[in-house]
Amino acid sequence: MRQGTLVPLVASAFVGAAIMTPVLVVLWRSFTAGRLGFSVGLHLTNYLRVFSDKDILAMLGNSVWYAGGSALLGTGLGAFLAWVVARTNTPGKALVELLPLYPILMPPIMKNIAWILLLAPRSGILNGMLQQFLGIETPVFNAFTMAGMIWVFGLACVPLGYLFLLPVFLSFDPSLEESAYIAGAKPVRTMFKITFPLAVPAFTSALVLNFLRGLRSFETPVLQGTPGNIKVFVSRVYDSMALEFNTGLATAYSMVLVVLSIVTLYFYIRATRFSERYATITGKGYRVKVIDIGLWKYLTFASVLLYFFVGIVVPFVVLIVVSMIPYFDYDTFMHFPFNAVLTNYHTVLNHPSFMGGLYNSLVLSVSIAVVTVLLGIVMAFTIHRTKAAGTKVFEFIGTLPLAFPPLVLSVGLLIIFIGTPLYNSLWALALGLFVAYFPYAFRNASGSIVNIHKELDEAAWVHGAKWRHVFFKITLPILKPSVGGALFYIFIEAIRNVDVAVLLTAPGMEYGPVTLFEYFRVGQWAEAAAGGVIYLIILIVAVSLAKFAFKIKFSL
Amino acid sequence: MERKSMEFITIALAASFLLVGLASAAETPKAAAQKAIPKQVMHHSSSAAATAAAAKAFEKVSAELYPKAKQEGNLIVYSVWDVEHLKVITEAFMKRYPGIKATYWQGRNPEIVTRALTEFQGGQASWDVVLSDNAPPVIRAAGAIQNYETVQKDVLYLHDPTMPTVSLQIQALAYNTKKIKPADLPKSWEGVANPKYKGLIALDDPMRAGPLSSMLSGLKTEWNDDARFKKFVAGLKALNVPVHKSTSAMFRLVISGEYSICMPALLHDVMEELHKGTPINYSKSVPPVLFPRQAGIYVKAPDPNAAKLFAEWLISEEGQKTIDSVGRESSRNDFKSKTSIESAFGKGIQPLPVTDQFFLEDPKKWLDTYVKPIWE
Repeated sequence: MRQGTLVPLVASAFVGAAIMTPVLVVLWRSFTAGRLGFSVGLHLTNYLRVFSDKDILAMLGNSVWYAGGSALLGTGLGAFLAWVVARTNTPGKALVELLPLYPILMPPIMKNIAWILLLAPRSGILNGMLQQFLGIETPVFNAFTMAGMIWVFGLACVPLGYLFLLPVFLSFDPSLEESAYIAGAKPVRTMFKITFPLAVPAFTSALVLNFLRGLRSFETPVLQGTPGNIKVFVSRVYDSMALEFNTGLATAYSMVLVVLSIVTLYFYIRATRFSERYATITGKGYRVKVIDIGLWKYLTFASVLLYFFVGIVVPFVVLIVVSMIPYFDYDTFMHFPFNAVLTNYHTVLNHPSFMGGLYNSLVLSVSIAVVTVLLGIVMAFTIHRTKAAGTKVFEFIGTLPLAFPPLVLSVGLLIIFIGTPLYNSLWALALGLFVAYFPYAFRNASGSIVNIHKELDEAAWVHGAKWRHVFFKITLPILKPSVGGALFYIFIEAIRNVDVAVLLTAPGMEYGPVTLFEYFRVGQWAEAAAGGVIYLIILIVAVSLAKFAFKIKFSL
Repeated sequence: MERKSMEFITIALAASFLLVGLASAAETPKAAAQKAIPKQVMHHSSSAAATAAAAKAFEKVSAELYPKAKQEGNLIVYSVWDVEHLKVITEAFMKRYPGIKATYWQGRNPEIVTRALTEFQGGQASWDVVLSDNAPPVIRAAGAIQNYETVQKDVLYLHDPTMPTVSLQIQALAYNTKKIKPADLPKSWEGVANPKYKGLIALDDPMRAGPLSSMLSGLKTEWNDDARFKKFVAGLKALNVPVHKSTSAMFRLVISGEYSICMPALLHDVMEELHKGTPINYSKSVPPVLFPRQAGIYVKAPDPNAAKLFAEWLISEEGQKTIDSVGRESSRNDFKSKTSIESAFGKGIQPLPVTDQFFLEDPKKWLDTYVKPIWE
């Protein structure tokens, strides 16, 4: 271990303890048999039930297909968009940089509803149009299939891929690619042989995160999978909670996801174990080289526009129309705007917690984003820079909360806080959100720090620098683009969190997302659409203003 | 230094284990003794005298409870109901009884059960009353509800001597008026299993604690005929139609025309859509399924008198008017509104109550016993 690196190590250990405490409570819970209120001693009953579940393999298979397909689609598309924005001479740079960001603002469940309305076999807008304008009677699209699920959740995975990969592509030392050009390689070959392999750590980091998100995601499987008779593993977890009220069984089922996550992480760590191979930011001065892709630049421009169109314009337009028509069916939809009404907006704006809850959620989301991102970098720094033995364990600990379905994780948090002064306070909610979002901050930092060559901070270490000098003067400034992206992503995710927050909010505490997203939860789609439209407009305006006012850039 | 770093990691992990130990110590996992299952009573109608007697009894109990409740000063409600509804209801209560501050926490049934029972096991006196449909019997089964019998029991459709029924969840057979004619509808719940409805029906998942499973429980009690029950469930299974885990989402898909018939829909949802002119209606000849929405008072309630007063006020005429004003169904058989059974279904309809306490307290076991062998 280097001298003077005790502080990051201690900080990481405390973060690790904060994460492990609810995780261990959940683990302990999995050994308690019986329903809530009837827990009796420690048993293996739950695990025996899990492993004797005859449907488990089929459900796990579906989960892996769904999560893997979505993660590949989303991360791949995100990486492509990041490459287009960062490394090509695609026209309309300012616009192209901003467009892929806006779809992040739309909550996944809003996309679910919009795509169901678009792709439902008999009542879907697209099938209706094909029938009306082209005379195609047989439904072409079906939202209630595995492909439909992967499409919708895959689109929700794009932002993470984009935000993780953009800083990496923006910080490439061009000498690596120039060597390839000198050796006679064409741009496309260079891209596949040099550019993309160097982005492997960040790509894998985003892929792992998206895969784990897919494994535990619930809305898409419930809304699209159940009608198509596609059962995924996580529904067993929720059934254990919602039908049996047996948190022990739910956590035992979750342990299967934890094992899958550990296996996934193991492969990630093995794949990136020679981290110096992926270092693209070195001590040498350079300017990021933009590749001239010739006429292809119009195609890349069109592809960014197409993603923007599919990722946000189409679902957003559907939601706007749904929020303003008296009810949704194909005919009524097509009659818009002659049947437009604003009653749903009136309902939402008069929601008791709409304005009141906004303050708490804004303050909390900003604080959580800053704290998690900073500590995420500290933990990544500890692993990759302090040379202390055993720090690889943080690689697992930092990602672990993501393996748990939010309801299960929040039970662990609830048990910890009960009986302490933190219970029913904003602090408990803040700590809960911290644990839930730390993996995003950590994986983002871990993926990015690998790209910084150690020679930069080694120069400082040999000159006797303390960790704070290296961290604040070297690591943090270089990580600025990924810090911006992670802050933005975690803020957006935290401000709409319901699953973790719901058990940790106190009676009488107004927390915007919990009450506003109630419309989604209870299936009032028109009001949900109106709330979503208002929410989206507020966020688009806020993010655009913040970007210009504070000159936030996701580039160096 | 390497050893030192390992020590720090060990200490931090040990600290987390210690916290876990403390957390588990805070919880007192004690198997709650299964109490005698209370029997629900159904009253189809009541006389004017019963109405007057209920009003008098309410005034008396209100006068007794209010001073004590005022001294307690607070009321904490856990509920599955919409925040907008809870706000209207608690504000009306506070207006009627100044000096009592009512706050609420809203979650779904699994969340309510999880929070309420985790707090119960942790010995927390953190809430007074839970207002919901599925949650109160489950919480009662764990021993976390104190028995309280309302003084207005004679005017209730469904009366449970341990928990006041303050509202009803009424299920109806709804259909899309653009997709199917009333004459082509099933004439009973049993008729839904007719193979001619294959492809037209949207079915709630019978293997979850949802409306269809509660209807099955009601039908099983009503028929008291295992062969008939099995035939019905097998008939539904044979339809081979998609099942839904979200009743509301299923209802929206029926409105959109994806399906023609909703098995089942909630009456207050149908009424709200009817009011908007949506092409949806419900069959008046298929008996409504009645599921009790109860106010369960916590055994460790910090404000037990406020909780009892709140439950009584909810059943009183004023309380029922407030509940009706937010679109929820009355629990009284003498209360007239658009969602009351007589107005919505006409005189002479025989509702189907869900009263099987085995189902209400342990839906999973009930489904495993009676439905799973046929369905899966």
